[in-house]
Amino acid sequence: MTSASVIDELKKSRILELLELGKRVDGRALDEPREISIETNAIPKANGSARVRLGETEVICGVKIQPDRPFPDMGDKGIFICTAELLPLSHPTVETGPPGPDVIELARVVDRGIRESHMIDVSQLVIEQNKSVVGVFADNVVVDYDGNLFDACSYAATAALLSSKSPKWNWIDDAPTLVEGEDMPVPIATIPVSVTMGKIGTHIIVDPNGDEWSSMDARITITTDSDGNICALQKGGSDGFTLEEIDRCGDLSVKVGAKIREKLKEAQKESQ
Amino acid sequence: MDNKRKYVIPGDVVTTGPFRPEQNVILEGNKIISTTIGISEIYDDSVKVIPLTGKYIPKINDLVIGKVISHTSLSWELDINSCYVGFLPAQDVFGRDFSAHADELATKLKSGDLVAARIANFDRTRDPLVTISDRDLGKIDSGDLIKISPSKVPRLIGKRGAMIQMIEMATDAAITIGQNGWVVVSCESPEGLLKAKKAIEMVNEKAHVANLTDQVKEMLESKGES
Amino acid sequence: MGGRDATMVLLDENGIRCDGRKVDEPRRIMIKAGGLKNADGSAYIEFGDNKILVGVFGPRDVHPKHMSNTDTGILRVRYHMEPFSVGERKNPAPSRREIEISKVIKEALEPAVMLDKFPRTAVDVFIEVLQADGGTRCAALTAASVALADAGIPMRDMVAAIAAGKVADTVILDVNNEEDQAGQADMPIGYMPNLEKITLLQLDGVLTPDEYKKCVQVGVDGCKIVYDLQKKALQEKYFGDGGD
Repeated sequence: MTSASVIDELKKSRILELLELGKRVDGRALDEPREISIETNAIPKANGSARVRLGETEVICGVKIQPDRPFPDMGDKGIFICTAELLPLSHPTVETGPPGPDVIELARVVDRGIRESHMIDVSQLVIEQNKSVVGVFADNVVVDYDGNLFDACSYAATAALLSSKSPKWNWIDDAPTLVEGEDMPVPIATIPVSVTMGKIGTHIIVDPNGDEWSSMDARITITTDSDGNICALQKGGSDGFTLEEIDRCGDLSVKVGAKIREKLKEAQKESQ
Repeated sequence: MDNKRKYVIPGDVVTTGPFRPEQNVILEGNKIISTTIGISEIYDDSVKVIPLTGKYIPKINDLVIGKVISHTSLSWELDINSCYVGFLPAQDVFGRDFSAHADELATKLKSGDLVAARIANFDRTRDPLVTISDRDLGKIDSGDLIKISPSKVPRLIGKRGAMIQMIEMATDAAITIGQNGWVVVSCESPEGLLKAKKAIEMVNEKAHVANLTDQVKEMLESKGES
Repeated sequence: MGGRDATMVLLDENGIRCDGRKVDEPRRIMIKAGGLKNADGSAYIEFGDNKILVGVFGPRDVHPKHMSNTDTGILRVRYHMEPFSVGERKNPAPSRREIEISKVIKEALEPAVMLDKFPRTAVDVFIEVLQADGGTRCAALTAASVALADAGIPMRDMVAAIAAGKVADTVILDVNNEEDQAGQADMPIGYMPNLEKITLLQLDGVLTPDEYKKCVQVGVDGCKIVYDLQKKALQEKYFGDGGD
């Protein structure tokens, strides 16, 4: 996908030059994410939704909640699935057709961060044990690309879930039956926040923009929960991190994540 | 604004009558119809529309800024912000006695490098052939690349270069304008660089505005904030 | 959601429809030209509760190469619905319906676009339905035409679209989802307003020959309303501060 777009060498050397001085091309501090805007209920007909802009990266997430059959041996748990897709209008290098490894990794990392934090209490999503459960699907679509899709999708999915209203079903005559007028929030246990950091030379930067993303040697995405614990990780890119760098990234993810969590809470309040 | 000029979108009838359709208009019956978003101009016997959007269409002898996107053992491919990829043969850089065995293209130009190039040849059947073997052409080693709409390039240059000279004088920047809408700005002072970039972006956004020159001048003369 | 009232009145004695509109009144339409950073041209439309985003790239190199034409540029259109755009979550794989709609929209735009000056290239139109509410193809075609103009693709004319139809034995403009489900006929129309040519026409349902003619006329009149909004959207983006 977007790794195919070649960054011009002048810009790349400018990025490096500035980093040596502790600065970034767009004037941010190294540990500063871009401006985040969250608009919930962007898709009113979905059960929950959010349009998130992280700088000029833009993602829309829609949540659909519907009865489903449980997975085998998981009859006492509801289903949660989170996906991510790059729409071809988001960047000239995106192609239609089955997703490539980059997009599959993106979808899995976003799903993992939310799943492993146990944000959604799936034990409360059972209609009839072993027969029928509630399925929660959070589908992310990337509308405009400017780097760091991991965090943009993660915030969009989290904000959409926080604003979701789930219908209620009862088990009547061997079938899930909708109970009108009893919509309620999805059972939320914690608010996960992913923070992606790029490594350029020996510098660690939070929330790389598109140009920085194309100049990066390696990256790491760390998801933390409301208690400040680390619940999911993904290292990517063709360089390694020193132990000291890994420690620093862990600290950064907690610190930066806490601020972003407040924004997600605000968005949740506004959606009520 | 001259009353013969008007803002048009595709399908708009610019005028009717015995005019010769020039750029961005077609003749349908006796109507002259715009095929693009732009400003129409009616002359004594002809009509044209100056576009405000659209891709760069290569023209022989145009100066363009290109970005190397790949190379084979015989040529480079350049992104020239056009419908077509620019084709730069190895001989243009290594000379007549270029040898595909002995000469490694990546030693001269590699992916991501920016070059100032000229369109050497182009027609319907082939991708544009570009050259960098001339004075003022070749690899660009410093500066910032700014992208504007190719349709705004004439406005950025201005009448006999008036607009670009004004920006250069006010900021001490050196500005290379590619006809393809890619512009390289270099400047010793960071403030000058910022101001020059801002002026170029202003032209890009307000190309249709009548008193644009005054607005840019005012911005350039303003102190401090950027 | 919940089941719709089967006895819902599609048209009351005062000639008012189920959503409060008159017979010749379109839903609320909002069009915005531009908006996407990476696309060469783009547009966003809200048409009733439809929300559709369109991005255009090109003319550009054709991949795969064998699709390219040495005499002219080609137009490619993909109409695609997001999983969350409809009542029940949609499977992300392209459906037969999406493939057909992509084709009819492409053929509705082809009479307008002029790609003979761009041999061996393609213009790609990507339509993304974010929320669907009946009449997505007309809304999508309308927005696609604005996005193509925004990209500077040469066009003989704009293409505006809206559906006419029949409910309670009455010809109406702009069929909504309920009217599509419970009504008697739905006729989407795409129209080039200056060249006065119909470029998209489909029909589901039964019409008398007289109603058929009336439907086309009502639809064409509706397209002119839509066209004015397309114009306004482009003027806002390009001539916004009108030469102050």
